[in-house]
Amino acid sequence: MALSVSEVLPVAAPRTRRQIWSIGGGKGGIGKSLIAASVGWQLARMGRRVVLVDADLGGANLHTCLGLPAPPRTLADFIQRRVSSLEDVLTDTPAGGLRLISGAADLLSAANIKHLQKVRVMKQVRALDVDVVLIDLGAGTSYNILDFFLLSDVSILAVVPEPTSIENGYRFIKSALYRRLRAAAPTEGIRQLVESALDPKNPYGIRTPLDLLARVDAEDPEAARALRREVSAFQPRFVVNEVRDVADVAIGHQLVAACGRHLGLRASYAGFVHHDDAVWQAVRRRRLFMCDAPTSRAAEEIRQLTRGLVKGESLGSGY
Amino acid sequence: MDPVTDPLPDGPPTSGGESSPTGGDDLYAVLGLEPRASREQVERAYRFCLELYGEGSLATYSLLDPTEAEQQRLRVREAYEVLVDEEKRRAYDEGQGFSPPDAVVLPFPVPANAEHAAELPEVLTGADLRKIREARGLSLRHIAAVTKIGVRFLEYVEEDRFAFLPAPVYLKGFLHEYARLVGIDPRRAAEAYMSRIPAKG
Repeated sequence: MALSVSEVLPVAAPRTRRQIWSIGGGKGGIGKSLIAASVGWQLARMGRRVVLVDADLGGANLHTCLGLPAPPRTLADFIQRRVSSLEDVLTDTPAGGLRLISGAADLLSAANIKHLQKVRVMKQVRALDVDVVLIDLGAGTSYNILDFFLLSDVSILAVVPEPTSIENGYRFIKSALYRRLRAAAPTEGIRQLVESALDPKNPYGIRTPLDLLARVDAEDPEAARALRREVSAFQPRFVVNEVRDVADVAIGHQLVAACGRHLGLRASYAGFVHHDDAVWQAVRRRRLFMCDAPTSRAAEEIRQLTRGLVKGESLGSGY
Repeated sequence: MDPVTDPLPDGPPTSGGESSPTGGDDLYAVLGLEPRASREQVERAYRFCLELYGEGSLATYSLLDPTEAEQQRLRVREAYEVLVDEEKRRAYDEGQGFSPPDAVVLPFPVPANAEHAAELPEVLTGADLRKIREARGLSLRHIAAVTKIGVRFLEYVEEDRFAFLPAPVYLKGFLHEYARLVGIDPRRAAEAYMSRIPAKG
């Protein structure tokens, strides 16, 4: 896959300690779970000890992506304290080094777990003795999803080259960033300003994070500096799934440029995966295409994507 | 002066809309370039920005309203017109206090406008194409990377090794891409090149 993408730019280098990666995207049905499963599988192949967490609490299906039957214990058992440790809901997979924490397909209310439960999950996720915890976030922009995205060392945003997915992607980014800024707001007044920015019809005419920072700067330069640090640290990495041609591949570069120019965000382009028949053929057999069709284009692209994510590299500027 | 791919939140606001199209913008930043950018980079950045702000662009339609997008296109075109023109660029650089880029990195070949496109000869050989490409300072590897056409095929094109070239329908596509990148009229160039290929019986 020699594109203009052979040039790699270093972004924030990943730390060597245990890492939390998460994959979000706002919209359902864009392949988040398959990307999570295949990246997790590839990480395990590269010798990492990996736990995949299916946090898509409304529609958990990561186990199916991996060709496993529904595991007997799920995240719901932990959330509802039927087991005391996350270790108790780990399921082995056929890939050595890769284990799974299944979501809670049977538990509709789980998508709205309470704050304390969430803190307990996060704490234990952090404590897992592995190299990478890879969290498949569900669709949507609920606070739980955003918080998992924000606590991650590597925050991956999946989109497909379609208007609905990209709109949702932007909404996801803005919601996550504003949630982060809200938490970092030093005063009640600034916090209210951040909250008002979420409303597209806010009285201050704030439409983008850049507008918000300008507004905060006018009121409280010290606070603006603090918020800018948060904005700089927020670095979502785009993965464009289901690309079909060069123009689709280029969309990732355009998203990064648009985020920089119009949202003031330092996003990066982690990689893309072509639409590939091998993927759905494997899905239909309830197998992962990484093992079923290791020579397929999609499998090669997942390997490249994973290597790039591990090294903290992204695709070049697109020109 | 930061390239757009590395936007610093405390840099100058780049949000669309409020600044006038010409008003004191860093023309390099408008195209997401640094002042030492080569002519080739200016061309690529220009095409990239036109797509970024094009009508119906997936990446920007939900961020900018049509007026803002048009304004961005205007800024991009204005920046390009200065930076692509050797004289204007030099004057601009001097005005901004940028040191002139190293002389060797800036090939300024024949501009790719309609006037010159019309001057393409009726027949183009592979060697002609190579001359045009080299005048633009473009490597085959670069063209291959952008177009995804294998370097090998591009070499066959420039060496007139017709037997190794793909079927006309594909070759035409290759030539279009090649021509677009070196800045000559794609349709005419493809015709002028293919006019020499004997039809297969």
